[in-house]
Amino acid sequence: MNALKGIFVGLLVSAGNTLAAAPPQTPTAKHALAIMLKSMQDLNYQGTVVFLKNGKLEPMQYTHVSAQGREQERLISLNAPLREIIRDTGNVSCFFKTTQQRSAEHRPFEHSFLIDAPDNPDDLDANYTLTLLGEETIALQPTYIIAIQPKDQLRYARKIWLEKQHFLPLKATVYDHAGKTVEQLVFTELTIKSTLPFTDTQSVKNVTKPTDAVSSAEASFTIQKLPSGFHELFFTRRPLHNSAQPVDHLLLGDGLTLVSVYMEQATNAQASIDSPKAVQSIGAINFFSRTVGGFEFTVMGEVPSETIKLIAENIKLRE
Amino acid sequence: MNKELNQYLSQLLDDELDHQVALDLLQKIQTNPDLKNTLTRYTAINHALKTDDFLPLPADFSEKIARQIDQEVTYFLPQKKPARPHYKRVALAASVAVVAVLAARGINNPQIFPMQSPAPQQLAKQTPVQPNEQLTVGTTPQDPASLNARISDYLDAHNNGVYTGEVDVDFRPLTKVTSYNQK
Repeated sequence: MNALKGIFVGLLVSAGNTLAAAPPQTPTAKHALAIMLKSMQDLNYQGTVVFLKNGKLEPMQYTHVSAQGREQERLISLNAPLREIIRDTGNVSCFFKTTQQRSAEHRPFEHSFLIDAPDNPDDLDANYTLTLLGEETIALQPTYIIAIQPKDQLRYARKIWLEKQHFLPLKATVYDHAGKTVEQLVFTELTIKSTLPFTDTQSVKNVTKPTDAVSSAEASFTIQKLPSGFHELFFTRRPLHNSAQPVDHLLLGDGLTLVSVYMEQATNAQASIDSPKAVQSIGAINFFSRTVGGFEFTVMGEVPSETIKLIAENIKLRE
Repeated sequence: MNKELNQYLSQLLDDELDHQVALDLLQKIQTNPDLKNTLTRYTAINHALKTDDFLPLPADFSEKIARQIDQEVTYFLPQKKPARPHYKRVALAASVAVVAVLAARGINNPQIFPMQSPAPQQLAKQTPVQPNEQLTVGTTPQDPASLNARISDYLDAHNNGVYTGEVDVDFRPLTKVTSYNQK
């Protein structure tokens, strides 16, 4: 994390914004999380955030704009390849400056590049324990530390550091079962503004086929038993590769983390030849593939390998 | 006599001493503290004259190494010939002393002591494996291009991570087996 230290640390939080709810003197963890979600939606703020994934640091300029019920997030990479990512009303577009390539996708199941949490923190009660761990200074600002501890071994623990004035997250960390950090984001500076301009996204034309959700009842498979707390969020059937062959994509979530289940014909995926026969990982994401009835299934998510295996083993083809 | 021994010491440092005479001299050094101090002093002077660096060696440098070796666990493996402790110790001390002298002389001479400054790559190889990395066990996953492309497409469709992580990275080096599930 020396690189983080090298980045100039200075946090300027203006006190004039009245949109956030007034926090209590010593909030409960759940109350703090609720205020965080509201502040993240309602406030206009921008700053520099560093993402740590796969052992790599990715510093980016972050902007959140909110006005009249409309939200827009924007990320601009500070390192090559230079790119700008905008989330606007469920659509995410990415523009690569060097190659002039642009992509767009409909992602209604996600709400933030920073932290996705259920609108009602009570929804986490069944599977997580929320605790106010204490206080710590992050980016020169006093913060509350919220610990989100899973009640089983099927998901990862997290910590969120919320600045005390508006409860915006300055730092968030995902830990594996050994306590090792698998993902992290840290703001090195953050400024709250009364207003910020929206970026024009009208010129962004979808270069990918719109991802329209369809009912998961149309899926050719079911998952007989989901891990506690996980439920279906989104189901699509669309080509994912450079072919017209559709791929079924079922997205599951427990409020904090996502798990994807993909299904495609095994012949196209050359499943019988090259499918990994073990749970593999890329950073915090584990994935596992298995062949069922001539179809290749891949389960992928930021959950422990046990969860991936549990979901994969419960996949059944519909009769 | 001392003058002759000092001459021998000087020749030893200049690598001009006959091999047998050098061994005899090193044996004497082991039992003669004055001679040992003289060798240390000559080594320092010799090194200071020839190089810009100074590598002070404590007088008991070789003894410490010999003691450390003596303290190591002895394995009672079958031996063809019983070792003779006296000669063994002398040979060991001589070897250590020669190494110490060569180290002092060759500190700035890569041709004599080429390993004195390991390259960054060598240092990297010597870096101990992190405990967490030791969890990576099992067979190396197969990574044909088709599999990578498929998993890459899945990652793109999965979540935000594709935007906030490293882009255009070939994930294969990061892929690791964490557990084995195939019955």
